[in-house]
Amino acid sequence: MNNFGVIEIASTTTKTTPGWAYVPDTGPTLPAVAQPSNRKRAARNQPALSLSDLSAREETRLRKELEALDRDNHRDVNIPIPPRPGGGSRAQNKHTPNVRKILQSQKTFANHLDDYIAMLALAESNPVAAAAMNAAQPKPSTPTASASKSASPAPSASAAGASKRSAAAAKRAAAKEKQEQEKKKARQTPKLEREPEAEPQQQQPPPHQQDDDVEMADTAATPVQPAAASSNQEQEPNPQTYPRESQILPPYAKPPPRPHPGDDDPLLVSAIPPFPSDDELRALMTAPPLSYLEARATWAEEESRYPVRVFCAVCGYWGRVKCMKCGTRVCALDCLETHREECLTRYGL
Amino acid sequence: MAGSRKSRAAGPPPPSVTLVLDNGADTIKAGFVTGDKADDRPRIIPNCLARDRHKKAYVGSELEKCRDFGEMAFRRPVEKGFIVNWEAQREIWDREFFDDKAPQRCDPSETRLILAEQPNALPALQTHCDQMVFEEFGFASYYRGIGPAFNAYQDIQAIFHTPRTPDTSTDIPAEILLLIDSGYSHTTVTPIVHGRPLHQAIRRVDVGGKLMTNYLTRLLSVRHFDMRNETYIANEMKEAVCYVSMDFNRDLEKTWKGTRGERREDYLSGGGIAKDYVLPDSHTIFHGVVREYDPGGASSRARRAAASTEDVLTLRNERFVVPELLFNPSDIGLRQPGLADLVMQSLSVLPIGLWPGLLANIVVVGGNVRLDNFIQRLQMELLKRVPDECVVRVARPEDPVISTWLGAANFARHEHVERLAVTKQEYEEFGAGWVARKFSAGLGVDS
Repeated sequence: MNNFGVIEIASTTTKTTPGWAYVPDTGPTLPAVAQPSNRKRAARNQPALSLSDLSAREETRLRKELEALDRDNHRDVNIPIPPRPGGGSRAQNKHTPNVRKILQSQKTFANHLDDYIAMLALAESNPVAAAAMNAAQPKPSTPTASASKSASPAPSASAAGASKRSAAAAKRAAAKEKQEQEKKKARQTPKLEREPEAEPQQQQPPPHQQDDDVEMADTAATPVQPAAASSNQEQEPNPQTYPRESQILPPYAKPPPRPHPGDDDPLLVSAIPPFPSDDELRALMTAPPLSYLEARATWAEEESRYPVRVFCAVCGYWGRVKCMKCGTRVCALDCLETHREECLTRYGL
Repeated sequence: MAGSRKSRAAGPPPPSVTLVLDNGADTIKAGFVTGDKADDRPRIIPNCLARDRHKKAYVGSELEKCRDFGEMAFRRPVEKGFIVNWEAQREIWDREFFDDKAPQRCDPSETRLILAEQPNALPALQTHCDQMVFEEFGFASYYRGIGPAFNAYQDIQAIFHTPRTPDTSTDIPAEILLLIDSGYSHTTVTPIVHGRPLHQAIRRVDVGGKLMTNYLTRLLSVRHFDMRNETYIANEMKEAVCYVSMDFNRDLEKTWKGTRGERREDYLSGGGIAKDYVLPDSHTIFHGVVREYDPGGASSRARRAAASTEDVLTLRNERFVVPELLFNPSDIGLRQPGLADLVMQSLSVLPIGLWPGLLANIVVVGGNVRLDNFIQRLQMELLKRVPDECVVRVARPEDPVISTWLGAANFARHEHVERLAVTKQEYEEFGAGWVARKFSAGLGVDS
């Protein structure tokens, strides 16, 4: 049966066969980081090379599978908007230009994401052009860069531009920023009164700085709390260690739990992380939002991760054996045979 | 613009009616807040245009009239959690809120809109949204805020059943909270302090209800019969039978048929995991039915099936492998961390001093958290990862799907809304860019 792999087939149809594929030669194999959505500029957006041993073919298969899983319908469907039975009441006659543009847009999310990435890339490589592009759209609809001067991470590059235009833009931005700062300050000042603190105190251990004489209530000493099996976290606020001046997350204000003879036992003292200062908290709470891509979680470094689990492609049990032809994992002989049939119809003998 | 001359409401007194919308990819949660009174529950409207096999089209809540969901095709205006196709979205909103005979009719020019959006939106889509709200619908006043943050405007400690003395007042917004929102398109983790999301720590993993349904569909198509055009039925099946496994290895062992010729006890008896699912046949049954596994062997099942002509699927590891994607996205080759690791990644950018507070107040919302054992599994996995001293409490509101809406409805009555909402006049005067900046700046820190 084995003619050294040479088999004559009278067929003109071509199939994607395993074994080889055209790939750009860019050194070691790249992990598909922007996997599902965006393969257009995938090669450029790699943060780092990894020693992933997936071949290009497996990579493609994975990407296709993920794309298939991400669809709303199996087939492409085009559902036009059905006519309304009674006729709407809202005046439909006139749209503003912006609205007309939005309604007619057939862009998908992937298109918008690509646009956004392109804009970021432009702002990075050519701040002058980016600033010009933004300046060229004076309508309130100029969406991204100018709108989110403070919000999106990219346009900060515009300050680096040497041209008059970008310098002017930067100045404008600075002025705007300043205005906002002032506004914020004005908002901050009058309100210092606080609602009385009540809720999470049971569980939220008021953090102290490392200090040796932290008091610690014994679990048994506190009333039994079913939901809060955590009561051993309750601690007496320690006036010296807690940031008393904190306005944002004020210290524990209720009477401390009953003292316990074991409180001073150095063995029972737990290390408590330093509490963030008001400035830190303020910085966190006013930080601008991350962009869509930055918020996407990615794998941590290789070492800290468990290896990927593999499953039988047929029954879903652990994939213990590999098909010799295509590398698909199966669990045992029964499943291997089922798989062979599919493998044959797909790739030939 | 023509709109500016026409709009008559606005002026100093804010509109008394607020339309609160949580515009999800799968369903819209919509309700009104009038003065100090809010609807008890939002109306839940499917956010899609659907077409059945007879080419009949349904828009939004018309889907309730549909009985036969076989081969249903959907067009959704929301992609990845964000409103992308405004043509379809406008049609649905028009039919639900603005038409003469709309079920929740309101006059936008005398109404404030509070719209929940997913965090980390693309600026272009946000601008589109603002423009549509003011220029097309003409709302008098408007705020677009990120959905997870609205959840803080609830009595969070009641969700945890924290023991309290009756005189303790509840904090609204909650002081500190870690919110996990697992919806149709993706799952996000958002730490929130006093109702302000800590933007630097918001993380997302692209596993949501849609991905899980499609994965279940694929598994069934490989093992049983082709269900690829039956998304709706597969989704019903997922909601009915899927559960989060507390011990994945053990469950997988139990559902393995074994090597050739082997007769494994657990496999034959179902091992407490196998379930039969009767598929709808579009004549007598229109919704699937879960049945206990019938271990009588294939022959008895075949006899029964011949007698009743019903299609029965036996679901074994499909029941827990599908939700497992939330905790191990790498099982399908998606290179993203699981939910517990996601929480840890989010925490890692925050000062350690905040960890105890956040970990002790984890609230999960969204449709996927209704899966059995979701909370227990998350808690178990988190306990393995956090320092020993930290208390981990995970809780889910009574109805996790409408939780964001309830929070937003409370927000609509809170003084914060006056500081954040933008009126139509302001939009016309300062433009969309100013509105976008104001919304993204948020509340700032004070109070």
